Amino acid sequence: MVNTVDQSNLEIKIHLDNEYGLHARPAAVLAKEAQKFSSEIQLCFDGREVDAKSILDILTLAVPHGGSLSIRASGADAREAVKHIKKLINGRFEGNK
Amino acid sequence: MAEQILRGIPVSSGVAIGKTYFLNRGSNTSIVRMDIDPQDVAEEKNRLHSAFTSALVELEKISEKIPGELKEQAAIIDSHIMLLKDKKFQSASKKYIQDKLINAEWALEKAVSDIEKAFSKIEDEYIRERIHDVRLVADRVKKQLYGKPSDIKSFKQRMILLASDLSPADTIELQLDKIMAFATTSGGKTSHAGIIARSLQIPAIVGIEGLAEIQDGQFVILDGFNGKIIVDPGEEQLAHYTELKYQFENYQSQVNRNCYLPAETIDGYKVKVSANIELFEEVAAVIDNGGEGVGLYRTEYSYLNRDDLPTEEELFEEYRDLSSIIYPEKIIIRTLDLGADKIATQFGPTREANPALGLRAIRFCRKHPELFKTQLRAILRASVLGNISIMFPMISGLQELLEVKKLYYQVRGELKSQGVNFDPFMPMGIMIELPSAVLISDMLAREVDFFSIGTNDLIQYSLGIDRTNKHVSYLYQPLHPAILRSIKYVVDAGHEAGIEVSLCGEVASDPYCIPILMGMQIDSISLNPQAIPGIKRIIRQATMDECKNLLKRVLESDDVQESNRLVKEMIFTRFPEELMFYTSLIED
Repeated sequence: MVNTVDQSNLEIKIHLDNEYGLHARPAAVLAKEAQKFSSEIQLCFDGREVDAKSILDILTLAVPHGGSLSIRASGADAREAVKHIKKLINGRFEGNK
Repeated sequence: MAEQILRGIPVSSGVAIGKTYFLNRGSNTSIVRMDIDPQDVAEEKNRLHSAFTSALVELEKISEKIPGELKEQAAIIDSHIMLLKDKKFQSASKKYIQDKLINAEWALEKAVSDIEKAFSKIEDEYIRERIHDVRLVADRVKKQLYGKPSDIKSFKQRMILLASDLSPADTIELQLDKIMAFATTSGGKTSHAGIIARSLQIPAIVGIEGLAEIQDGQFVILDGFNGKIIVDPGEEQLAHYTELKYQFENYQSQVNRNCYLPAETIDGYKVKVSANIELFEEVAAVIDNGGEGVGLYRTEYSYLNRDDLPTEEELFEEYRDLSSIIYPEKIIIRTLDLGADKIATQFGPTREANPALGLRAIRFCRKHPELFKTQLRAILRASVLGNISIMFPMISGLQELLEVKKLYYQVRGELKSQGVNFDPFMPMGIMIELPSAVLISDMLAREVDFFSIGTNDLIQYSLGIDRTNKHVSYLYQPLHPAILRSIKYVVDAGHEAGIEVSLCGEVASDPYCIPILMGMQIDSISLNPQAIPGIKRIIRQATMDECKNLLKRVLESDDVQESNRLVKEMIFTRFPEELMFYTSLIED
């Protein structure tokens, strides 16, 4: 479908602005939220790329405070996924227990 | 391997000769690698999968119960849940099972160590430290794995169990009939493990180092009298211990034969000797050992080792069945004494700086009134079907007692209005186990029908020592003047008010302490069932005169060592044949 092609391979860059970087709690929130989408979602930092649905992957990516990372998504709901995760990161993972 | 001796603290008498098995719970160092057959790969993967699932269910339950204000706790548990759900974690472990043909435990260990490697490269210290959470989660899965039947394969024959620690919950999961003795690295003289061992009548040692280094299947002698494990014993030792084991079993059967005779001194002073129990199954031991009812029924076990709470109906049936077996003798049911070392996971991980001084026992129950009321209703309903008394633990003050009584009467009122039967005259008592309760025992005595002095906690709280800490357990001195004065004060205050005073700590099963308690004219003592025959026998051979005399001299002594010497001297000269097989709380 045209739509799907449209949505695939989205990528945005974003600045991480929380206190300790992508540590346990934000990583847990991120993975949990990412799992709600059918698209494949990757986080890229420092030349490495990991699965945003895996908390282990996110943790080992070790994005420090102030690090700039990219979110990449491909699939039917890629646009929503990227938008949602961007919102999460900008909102410093608040409001999502 | 040459004969080698490890030493610890003896907590339960007897000798065991056999092979060892180290129960490892979440300890990374001693996980056993086992090769599996290719046809078992699927089963092993399934086992791992269900361990992950059970661990997840367990954590999710905990997560639901965390109060809203504990945001940090909730966040940690949430991240653990996400780790458990992480497909890569599980699939990496499964891959190891498949590729290397190894058991689930070892595969999990391999996967964790891979993750550790990845984490060790992380520069950010804070994130690098999260490996700790990975390990905690892996430990949860491991715990599930060990709970699964597959581990039982290694338990085909009876074993001497070694462990770094045995919690009350652990002992529920173990196949007790396959364990002939055990030894743990942690723990002191009165730790829970010892209580369990004595109730099972198997020898045990705590506070012993070097257990993990003993290979599984190693032939050893465990000497529960002296707290020794002899690894790879020589001929001479083997002969000696085989003889000792025989003698001990002989002595026990002799003592047991007369256990139904009452505990009455030569000069006619009678003491009631009843039993402390915590497992339903122990009720048989009470009767077999001549126990006059149950002086302390610990009700915690029905709350442990499960994810939900017992229902009123379950508890009612438990109390009803117990009391009808014991009938016409009495059973004193102590309300829930959970908290601190035995905290219910149902209420989330409570991290307290001082659990022993924290939310436990009656405080815990008052904080969770619904849980408490369920138990009260169950006890009250059972009260018409047996000879039951109710007892509240850890009372620290009069106001607190009055609040508890208010709640108790409220429950009675509710039952009454619902037309549910209960015994309005069921005796109600309290544990005296805090120094504050000792000092106001005259005030408390006016509010209750009986006292039961819990010496384990009383000694711990009075002397300010953690009884399971082997570095300070030497300060655990039952004959400390402060302890003796406390006990005497409570007995006198109780008698002054015309109520019965009982004692239910470990002291009651210590032959050295018995004459002292007798001298104070304690009304009844309650101890582990297996110790009853021997203690009754000592009482039957004593006179009240000599007990009072000894008490007088000990109360005058300002030196614990001197007091210890005095009681030992008396027992040595009067009951020499009893001593060979006893372990005492009194220091040498």
